[in-house]
Amino acid sequence: MNQPQHIRVLVPEALKNSLTRRTFLGGTAALGAAAFLAACSKPSGGGGSSSDGLNIYTWGEYDDPAVLTDFTSAKGPKITLDSYGSNPEMIAKLSAAKGTTGYDICVPTHSSVQQMATGGLLTELDLAKLPNMKNLTAKVVNTPFDPGNKYSVCKDWGSTGYVYDTTVIKRELTSWVDFLDAAQKEASGSFSLLEDQSEVAYTYFWANGIDENTTDPGHIAAYRSFILDKIAPHVQAFESSTNASISSSARTLIHCWNGDARLGILANAEPDRYKWVWPSEGANLWQDNWAIVKGAPHEDAAYEFINYVLDPAVSLKELLYIGYNTGIEGIEEAARKADIKRPDLVFITDDIMKKLVYSQMNSADGTIIGIYDELKAAAGK
Amino acid sequence: MTALEARPAQRPSAADTQPSRRRLRLPGGLGALPISVWMLLFFILPFGLVVWYSFGYKPGIYVTHANDILSMDRYGEAASPAFFAIFVRTLKIAVTGTVLCLAIAFPMAYWMAVKLAPKWRGVVLALVLIPYWTNFLVRTIGWQISLTPQGFVSKTLQWANLTDGPLHVLYTSAAVQLGVVYNYLPLMILPLYVALERLDPKLLEASRDLGGTAWNTLWHITVPLSAPGVTAGLLLVFVPLMGDYITPTVLGGASGSMVGQMVAAQFQSAQNWALGAAMAVLLMLAIFGTSAVVGGVLKVTGRVTTAMTSLKLPSKEPS
Amino acid sequence: MTVAAASARHRRRFRPADTFLTLWGLLGLAFLFFPIVVIVVFSFNSGRTLQSFDGVGMEAYVAALNNPAITNSITVSLITATGTAVVATLLGTSAGIALTRRPGWWAPGLLILLGLVMVTPEIVSAISLLPWFVTLGVDNGLVAFNIGQVRLIIANSLFASAVVTFIVRARMTGMNESLEEAAADLYAPPLRRFTDITLPLIRPAVISGALLAFTLSLDNTVVSSFVSVAGSTPWPVYIFASLKASLRPEIAAMSTLMLVLTLIVLGIAALILRRDPSGSGGGAAGLTSAMVGR
Repeated sequence: MNQPQHIRVLVPEALKNSLTRRTFLGGTAALGAAAFLAACSKPSGGGGSSSDGLNIYTWGEYDDPAVLTDFTSAKGPKITLDSYGSNPEMIAKLSAAKGTTGYDICVPTHSSVQQMATGGLLTELDLAKLPNMKNLTAKVVNTPFDPGNKYSVCKDWGSTGYVYDTTVIKRELTSWVDFLDAAQKEASGSFSLLEDQSEVAYTYFWANGIDENTTDPGHIAAYRSFILDKIAPHVQAFESSTNASISSSARTLIHCWNGDARLGILANAEPDRYKWVWPSEGANLWQDNWAIVKGAPHEDAAYEFINYVLDPAVSLKELLYIGYNTGIEGIEEAARKADIKRPDLVFITDDIMKKLVYSQMNSADGTIIGIYDELKAAAGK
Repeated sequence: MTALEARPAQRPSAADTQPSRRRLRLPGGLGALPISVWMLLFFILPFGLVVWYSFGYKPGIYVTHANDILSMDRYGEAASPAFFAIFVRTLKIAVTGTVLCLAIAFPMAYWMAVKLAPKWRGVVLALVLIPYWTNFLVRTIGWQISLTPQGFVSKTLQWANLTDGPLHVLYTSAAVQLGVVYNYLPLMILPLYVALERLDPKLLEASRDLGGTAWNTLWHITVPLSAPGVTAGLLLVFVPLMGDYITPTVLGGASGSMVGQMVAAQFQSAQNWALGAAMAVLLMLAIFGTSAVVGGVLKVTGRVTTAMTSLKLPSKEPS
Repeated sequence: MTVAAASARHRRRFRPADTFLTLWGLLGLAFLFFPIVVIVVFSFNSGRTLQSFDGVGMEAYVAALNNPAITNSITVSLITATGTAVVATLLGTSAGIALTRRPGWWAPGLLILLGLVMVTPEIVSAISLLPWFVTLGVDNGLVAFNIGQVRLIIANSLFASAVVTFIVRARMTGMNESLEEAAADLYAPPLRRFTDITLPLIRPAVISGALLAFTLSLDNTVVSSFVSVAGSTPWPVYIFASLKASLRPEIAAMSTLMLVLTLIVLGIAALILRRDPSGSGGGAAGLTSAMVGR
């Protein structure tokens, strides 16, 4: 600060300043007007309670984009999707927000439905608004985990396995034992596990002939020491939405679900590079379901959407994209007639079905989640 | 420098001699009231809530927290070997990152402030600011695209025979280190630039006229005078770096995970708010602790260096 | 003149160091721009995923502008940023002035508090604000806190108002009160003193503060992802969510457009600041000194 500046400031600045002050105020006004106009031009923009929208909280890449746009053109509501990688993540978000998330539909796996219902996170379904439920096969309705479909409706069901890069791993892998072995050898530093706490635990249990729903502390302790000592240093990533990694050949060994594997393999420039494995010991069997979040701002739109996707034609489109069995009566024949690609990854044969076990929520869950957190902390050191 | 400046702030005396005009004499601090209330409502109270949670526990699998029994156990859990390793790793990445930022930024800032012709300074400064104004997440994704094993960087390095096989840097701690240095570099350059720009070139001339070499000038004149800029830069980089959540998520994969992600996981999937809160408090303490320690060390070194190297020149101006 | 001659002399004597410094500076600039150039280049990727370059084209731009989720999130971001800038400027300017002109017993406490706000990592803010908003909005029935936009503006305004306070305070500390006193001696009422003298003099600080608040808010990812409500998803949160599923070239396209927008805003700011003679150096330097001069 030197003397001349002060004097300069005193003299005609007063005049100059008022001009430039006006410019400043004008500039801010212009900015505000622009933002306001931008807001007005998008009728559903901004506010959380738009009357023509539908917010779905689901897994990654779990719906055919064409089906979503078709729904909007047929029924009106614009759909926004948000995704999560595991049931605990979804439950954590919904329970922390106590109904203010703004989501209408969520997609819990069968094992979480009861917990969410007890925790007051789901709305009881008015089945009269879902006439298309009659299209579902008997196997997927009125299930043990949700008798009478009070809270959920089947979206699809599938199983867990893995894919491996045949150009890197030259031997044939067929089981969970092979999976865990390759993870420590050829795929070290280049393999990923699902972001799902229980699924990671199941890889160990199946590989060692233990019931996946075990609550035996001895088994769980053995799992803990194995996963932290043997596997943690070799993990590259925890990823539930794996089709992008598979299609871009990003990793050597990828723990994944069958539909994602199919999406990834079909999108890969070299479709034969990755081989999917139905592990020989057996695997987890799960069913994902549509559910309506308690406090959903657009309940009617939610019912319309769920009813819409239960229509056989729409369901077929979904199946052809996501690669999971949607549980509609006669869907397998319809899919084969539509020349579905890689049906072996979608429709599980009986001899594999015999070995699959539905996962259950039990008292060991807290421990399993804790072990998973430790795994994440220790990974890739 | 004038009597006017030296006089401390006073209310204008003219008002006191005004005859009976009703003057609204507002208390001096009224302007600070809105922000204080705002911060109380949306910073102090929520943070207090977090500290309160950290003394609680997780009563069952499906409940997030309970505070009927208070204990320090969560802090014990947070400091357990598994999680403590992450604190150490985060500290390592933060300290290395800050030092690297300083090492890269200082010559750059020096070049911009001292060596560059004044007409170019504005342009170059704008060029430094543009990446800073770009979305943090998008910048980091730019690195993720570049460093993938099938990406162009990997292919170029393989073609130039600099690496054998695809680049395996992504999803390692090294990638995170690169990412944080990149992301926080402008925050180090800017304060250094401001400090160095205020440097009087005559001082550098004087040093040379007195026979100092370039090194001498650098260490005894430039660096000490830019100390406030260095301190500002160190703080501006280290503090957000410790709590960085985005860079390790995008570039780190499983390894290279830092405390920020650990805290987030407790709230986003494990639903263990008590543990997450304890970790968050420990993170804050770690940041304060390290800043205090480093600040103390720098201050002491500064005093020692000044004592050792300064000359008391006879001065005509009042100090 | 002496300086120029002297530096000419120096240039001759220290050439290798100078070349090294210039090279370092240019390499540094290249380093800083590297990922941005990558994003801009990949925005012309006509492939399915962002990572694999599959042909050149403008499809990504068209798709981005037609994607309602993307355009909605940009709108949300812009509205939030404007709201944050307004709130932060109002709170910060009044606090900055109060801290300089009429500091009282509360001043050191407020400074420490604001400093604390600035050194708090985003993740800590995020985990403290979400339960708090839920407590206020659901348990206590204050419905305003359930609106996504409200939450976002409040969350972003904390750091931003602290920054604006420091900027305004730095600017005002350097100004003596003689002008305001002169105006008071001329019987100007306090409000008039404020609007005609104080405000124009701190105009560059207020502008740079508002701008900084705006851009900081546009960039805010972590806190926003925790507190946001579906339907008001800001742009960075949208990108963050896509990161988990799959990144598409539309994201790079929209990011390039946002970059152009930011440059335009920066340019306007530089233009406004250039006309202000009491800023040091050009517009950009003035912005920087105001930013960092605390």
